[in-house]
Amino acid sequence: MLKTRILLAEDDLDDQEFFSDFMQDRDDVILMPIVENGESVIQLLDSIVNTDELPHIIVLDQNMPKMNGLQTLQHLKNSERYARIPVCIYSTYTDETLIKNGSALGACVVLSKPFSKEGYDQMIDTLCKACGSSKMTTTKHNR
Amino acid sequence: MKNEPIDKTNKNLLKELEELRFQLNEANETIEAIRTGQIDALVVQGEEGHQLYTLKTADHAYRMFIEKMAEGAVTISTQGLVLYCNTQFANMVQHSISEIIGTPFESFIAAENRAEYEVLFEKCWKNDCKGEVWLLAGEHKTPVQLSLATLELLEGVSLSIILTDLTTQKRTQQQLLESNIQLEEINRALETSNHDLQQFASIASHDLQEPLRKIQMFTSIMQDKSDRLPHDAKKHLQKINDAAARMKTLIIDVLTYSKLSANNLQLECTNINEIINELKEDFELIIEEKNAQINVAELPYLKVNKGQIRQVFQNIISNALKFAKAGVPPVIEITSRRIAEKCFESPGQQDGPFCLLSIRDNGIGFNDKYVHRIFSLFERLNTKDNYEGTGIGLAIAKKIVEKHNGMITALSKEGRGTEFQIILPMN
Repeated sequence: MLKTRILLAEDDLDDQEFFSDFMQDRDDVILMPIVENGESVIQLLDSIVNTDELPHIIVLDQNMPKMNGLQTLQHLKNSERYARIPVCIYSTYTDETLIKNGSALGACVVLSKPFSKEGYDQMIDTLCKACGSSKMTTTKHNR
Repeated sequence: MKNEPIDKTNKNLLKELEELRFQLNEANETIEAIRTGQIDALVVQGEEGHQLYTLKTADHAYRMFIEKMAEGAVTISTQGLVLYCNTQFANMVQHSISEIIGTPFESFIAAENRAEYEVLFEKCWKNDCKGEVWLLAGEHKTPVQLSLATLELLEGVSLSIILTDLTTQKRTQQQLLESNIQLEEINRALETSNHDLQQFASIASHDLQEPLRKIQMFTSIMQDKSDRLPHDAKKHLQKINDAAARMKTLIIDVLTYSKLSANNLQLECTNINEIINELKEDFELIIEEKNAQINVAELPYLKVNKGQIRQVFQNIISNALKFAKAGVPPVIEITSRRIAEKCFESPGQQDGPFCLLSIRDNGIGFNDKYVHRIFSLFERLNTKDNYEGTGIGLAIAKKIVEKHNGMITALSKEGRGTEFQIILPMN
């Protein structure tokens, strides 16, 4: 089974730990090296030569230094190479404005950070599902 | 026989009318004669017998009037020299009348206004006109309005000017201007502080949630390993989690409340029944658990902010479910009627401009002396150990209803259930 490759941009160390700890228990996902802000997302992606090794989904924390989630999202959607990678924005507090702006810029999902282990499990399920449907659209495109 | 006295009165009246008509004609002719200068004296029969009035005395009356009036008055020759002035004018310019007569009127106008005055002086011979200038008054200057009107007299054309002192008016205008500026400043300050407050509430709420979530996450992780923990510790972990969850609700409620201050009410035609149906689905679990019944009559469409009005019903219905009597399944009745006026005592009216919505429950109720307190922020009538909640829900409901130009109240007796009444405008 193809594992879903997730790229996480998150500057909070605790949240990095939560994410990687809870993902270790699952065999359907792989977490790429965590980066701390939007700029590093772009740098990391640019350093990947083989397109097949790009992440299947990118999770961006909204509140990050230098480039925040929405700014990074916009940058990715403007790039021909990365525009098709589904992007999830997540934040401690997700309000209507963030959902609206995120959707407008092309985020596949805007989520609140989970409050429990079960919450993380659910979130990762949601991410895999978002990836699955987008993989389908990609294949359609290729045909 | 009977008609005789009436006939007589009628004849008398007709005769009287004839006499009065004659007198009126005579008076009209006299007035016309005076106006056109045909006579220079007239005799009037007054209480003290006949009296002679000459034009001179009439002229005197006018002179008295001009002398006594509060405005300054001057008559000026075509060359601009003062021919006549009243005492008021002499007071205004602080000179004696004899000093004034014969001097150019222009010399009493402040230097910076002379050009303006010259324009007026040119213009006034064709058309009566008005202007504002500063009048020299000894060491000081007085703002005055000049009303210029030409008079064609036997001796030739002359110009008469009435001067109205504008000092008080100017002062009032100035004061008005100043208080307007002050008001604007206060307004701006208020807006800023309002904005700051909202920013503060928003940022505080966002940032407060960050550490709170960490508390919940770490307790969740520890609870996962709780089989290795003593029983006490498990209990304490649960308490930490409950407290954190409560704080989260509080933060979100405060945030909701502070956002209501913003002036961004977007109204749409909303089916209130639809809102209630949605809420019934949201409350499905607790409705099942408590075996509750929510009976809804046909409710109107209202032009409201759907999200906010949904919140109002959500808070009230959630209260009704929460404050149920132990062992008694909650029954909630939601009804509405059109009323004539925006008051809770208003009589019903089929096409009335307001709608009174009623949400009645069979719960524990409360003493109605607390009715105003339940709508205040953080006001609780029941201990939180028995009934969860933040004490913001009804404050939010009240604020929303009032933002919609409506009213909210509650009727209750301890142990006898509660009825919330909401008045909203129909459009």
